[in-house]
Amino acid sequence: MAILVKLDDLLHARRMTLTELAERVGITIVNLSILKTGKARAIRFSTLEAICTALACQPGDILEFLPDAAEEAKAA
Amino acid sequence: MSHPYSAALPIAWVGLRILIVLNWLFAVAVLVLLFVMPHEHWLMISLKLTPSPEATRIVWGMRGIAVIGLFTIPLYHLILTRLLAMVGTVREGDPFVLANAARLQTIAWILIVLQVLGLVIAIIVRMISTPAHPINISAGPSIAGLLAILLVFVLARVFAEGARMREDLEGTV
Repeated sequence: MAILVKLDDLLHARRMTLTELAERVGITIVNLSILKTGKARAIRFSTLEAICTALACQPGDILEFLPDAAEEAKAA
Repeated sequence: MSHPYSAALPIAWVGLRILIVLNWLFAVAVLVLLFVMPHEHWLMISLKLTPSPEATRIVWGMRGIAVIGLFTIPLYHLILTRLLAMVGTVREGDPFVLANAARLQTIAWILIVLQVLGLVIAIIVRMISTPAHPINISAGPSIAGLLAILLVFVLARVFAEGARMREDLEGTV
């Protein structure tokens, strides 16, 4: 996947655990963990909004597009 | 998610199990007809035939139809067991899986083979039936049968698409 989820870095910067974020956002820790490890296929705007609110950040702080990875994925 | 209770599933479950047993009982009955009672004389009496080349042709034609009937038994078994497995997935609450799409695809192909076998039976009936001894077996391809095949092929695609959407939904956070 050419989209990198940088939730781990953000959590580290905010000194917050995944469990704390799960409680604040109202999403199960299992689902957040799927998102954090990059295994999610899609993210709802409502989830993104809740995470941005809880971490006081922008969507771009959580997600990053990697053009090289996209090229590799196309070639494969 | 709550589903309204439907009696269709338990009825289908029990009905399909009964049909699977009946299918094999039918196989036994045809086998008995073919091998345990091979006396042409008995067949002639039951069909009210007098010994003649025409009568022999009718008897052999009927035997041919019985053999084709035997070939359809495993085919019907495949259809029934696949339907039963599909009903099982609905009962478990997850019918949109790729396995069900594959099952429907198999059922559609088997239905095509059954239509072809029906055509062969219709040809045999036409060959052996005479004005003196008309054989009344309605066989052969039908519009309803062909529509059913089309429907099952389309349903197989619907299930494949449903399985893909389900996968997407499960990966959505």
